[in-house]
Amino acid sequence: MAVRIVTDSTADIPLAQAQALGITIVPLTVFFGEQAFLDGVELDNAGFYRKLQESKALPRTSQPPPAALQEAYKNLISEGADGILSIHLSSKLSGTYQSACTARDTLSESRIPIAILDSCSISVGMSQAIMHAAQEAKQGVGLEEIKVHVLDELSRTHVLAVLDTLEFLKRGGRIGSAQAMLGSMLNVKPILAIKDGGAAPLERPRTRGKAYARVAQLVSEMGEIESLCIAEASQEVGQQLAQAIREVYKGDIPFYKLGAVLGTHTGPGTAAVAVVTAQ
Amino acid sequence: MKQQASRIAGIRQRLRRISVFDGQDLKKAILIGAAWLEEHREAINALNVFPVPDGDTGSNMSATMQAAIRDIIHSTETSASVIAEKIAHGALLGARGNSGVILSQALRGLAQGLDKKQTFSATDLANALQEASRLAYRAVLKPIEGTILTVVRETAEAASKSAERGDDLVGLIQEAVIAARQAVASTPELLPTLKQAGVVDSGGQGFCTILEGVWRYVRGETGTLPPPSVSSSSGEAAVKKGRITVDEEFGYEVVFLLRGTNLDVDAIRQMIIDMGGVSTVVAGDEKMLKVHTHTLTPGKILDYGVSLGSLLDINIENLQEQSLTYAAESQAEHAGETSAVTGDSATVAVVSGAGLEKVFRGLGVNAIVAGGQTMNPSIEEVLAAVNTVSANKVIILPNNGNVILSARQVAALTNKEVYVVPSDTMPQGIAALLSFNFEADFAANCQAMTQAIEHVQTAEITTAVRSVQVGAVDVREGNYIGLINGKLTVAGQNMDHVINDTLQRMELENYEVVTLYYGENVTAAQAQERVHHIKQQYSHLEIEVVDGGQAYYPYIISAE
Repeated sequence: MAVRIVTDSTADIPLAQAQALGITIVPLTVFFGEQAFLDGVELDNAGFYRKLQESKALPRTSQPPPAALQEAYKNLISEGADGILSIHLSSKLSGTYQSACTARDTLSESRIPIAILDSCSISVGMSQAIMHAAQEAKQGVGLEEIKVHVLDELSRTHVLAVLDTLEFLKRGGRIGSAQAMLGSMLNVKPILAIKDGGAAPLERPRTRGKAYARVAQLVSEMGEIESLCIAEASQEVGQQLAQAIREVYKGDIPFYKLGAVLGTHTGPGTAAVAVVTAQ
Repeated sequence: MKQQASRIAGIRQRLRRISVFDGQDLKKAILIGAAWLEEHREAINALNVFPVPDGDTGSNMSATMQAAIRDIIHSTETSASVIAEKIAHGALLGARGNSGVILSQALRGLAQGLDKKQTFSATDLANALQEASRLAYRAVLKPIEGTILTVVRETAEAASKSAERGDDLVGLIQEAVIAARQAVASTPELLPTLKQAGVVDSGGQGFCTILEGVWRYVRGETGTLPPPSVSSSSGEAAVKKGRITVDEEFGYEVVFLLRGTNLDVDAIRQMIIDMGGVSTVVAGDEKMLKVHTHTLTPGKILDYGVSLGSLLDINIENLQEQSLTYAAESQAEHAGETSAVTGDSATVAVVSGAGLEKVFRGLGVNAIVAGGQTMNPSIEEVLAAVNTVSANKVIILPNNGNVILSARQVAALTNKEVYVVPSDTMPQGIAALLSFNFEADFAANCQAMTQAIEHVQTAEITTAVRSVQVGAVDVREGNYIGLINGKLTVAGQNMDHVINDTLQRMELENYEVVTLYYGENVTAAQAQERVHHIKQQYSHLEIEVVDGGQAYYPYIISAE
């Protein structure tokens, strides 16, 4: 058999793609008031943003319980996996990584190695490395080797996001040093980066057009690019960001939908680009 | 003393010969120069070409001179070079506005010219004035003729010729005053905006006025003086005898009643002034009089009073301490408000208006210097803010054309690395601050912030404080006026029309975001209504309204 890959719903990997690659996705939970929805399972991107507009209650998010992760590991073990690599969003943004560690440590019948990785990133910032890991796993590459490759790719992945408003960041809390931006009395379209596992403020253009152009400029300054993809809250903003980036990058640009959990903290109108620089 | 007419020819006369001055002579001459300037401050303010309520030249130069004399008032130093150095140092720290900075540089040049000189001759002074002229020109990036620079230079040239002819100090200073007056009179020929406005250059007039004060000292005059050549000074109050105006918050304020017999009011006043009393008022009669003065040595004044009679209602207040306490408190307040520095560089902004202060703080500025329109901060105030922030690299946002030069002087006064983003307006400063990159280093931020100010257009709506013709715009005092990027563009009686015209000229159709900062006398509802109007005409715009709280400018509008 082979190594199996586990991640969580904040990787924003479409279910069909995950299935094809044999990736197990453990969902986080999004609450609208008392109503709970499993991210990506019971609530997709379009459904979430529709609800965000309709609902009076502001959404909250919650990490998957250790039991949910344990069940995923158990299923894979019973399917005959000979190793599990469980890769999750930054431990600074969510307790999911902690849940995964607890799940592994309390798994009594584990006879196979289970490695838990803190990606120190989120969404497209980790999904590329996770999908590559799944491909390697299918080819029969060993757990340790895959882990090394994942860590290497994560270290070369840079995420820049343009938000439409600071409102959702303000409500959400866990945003690290982006706190510095929150006092703004002006409506800005902040550019954030993911740095050291948290959201780091970069710049504060007043208009989206300027923000996208600036992101494109920053991308062009990153050196040789291996691959690049966009995560979008809506097609509109994704296309706008892509248009700016195509000025500086001629390669293929895959698009992914930003899920409900990240959307809860960044709001509608968010577009992000993940750039994997060449080795 | 013979009364003199103000005509240029009138002052050319032979007085006593003086071949050298020492430090005390220099001190007294400059004190009277400063007092004379202070007397004519408002007249010089009135020479402002621009009808906007801006930091006025007379006030700025006088504040600079008051700072220049701060450390020499009570000095008994006889070395000219030591006194000149103190003057230059005080002026540099206290310089306000562009004219104040240029003046401070001229005084710096004077000090350099008098370096190591216990006393100085006419030739020494001529050389020092040449140095003053040289440094004044060096203070600005692009020297413009028809300004204070021309006046300083022509004064220095006249002084040199006078010295070559063998004139003494009296003759030289007389020639200098004549040349300064002629240079001031010729400024409208060199600078069309002056001619159009029908005024002479205010900074040049300020410099000339200081020289006239010096001339008074040289003539040994403390009484009636020829009025200075300021055109609008006819209504000025007569010069008060021996009065030197200094910062009111200086030393101890001493007030007491003196009861005695045969008290000589004039003699007592003069004695107190001679003992170092400043802003001295002595009033009453031969039996009872009231003394009100400011001094660094209240004991001496009281001892003197006791020697004359009996003291009643003695009240002594330590103004300096109050002033220092206040300064310390306000600094502590500011320090508490300075936000933590991220990265290697900090930002310092000059801001006026409570709302605008909030905007700058919200954008993470590390320290704020109050000021801007109408009140230009001194170099010292900007320096204090730069020294307060914890970073060693500091980016200054002056946010006013008349503060940029002062801000640039700060670099030479601190060990920190200082860069001045030449922001002319508040919105430019905000745009610069918005483009501050938290992750980038000092050099990259300096560059990005400087570029950012080019991408914002600023309109300012205010009221004209004087009638004047500016370019093709005819402005009447009290009119609403619209400025675009500091350039007066529209004037009229109806604020709505002025705002509409101004916005039209900004070509708003090419911009995405408009921000309306409303001033202290505008209500939120009025501002909202204004936005509603703008939105009707320019439906594509995203318009933000911010309570700026700025004085004098009902609206500051930026387009990006």
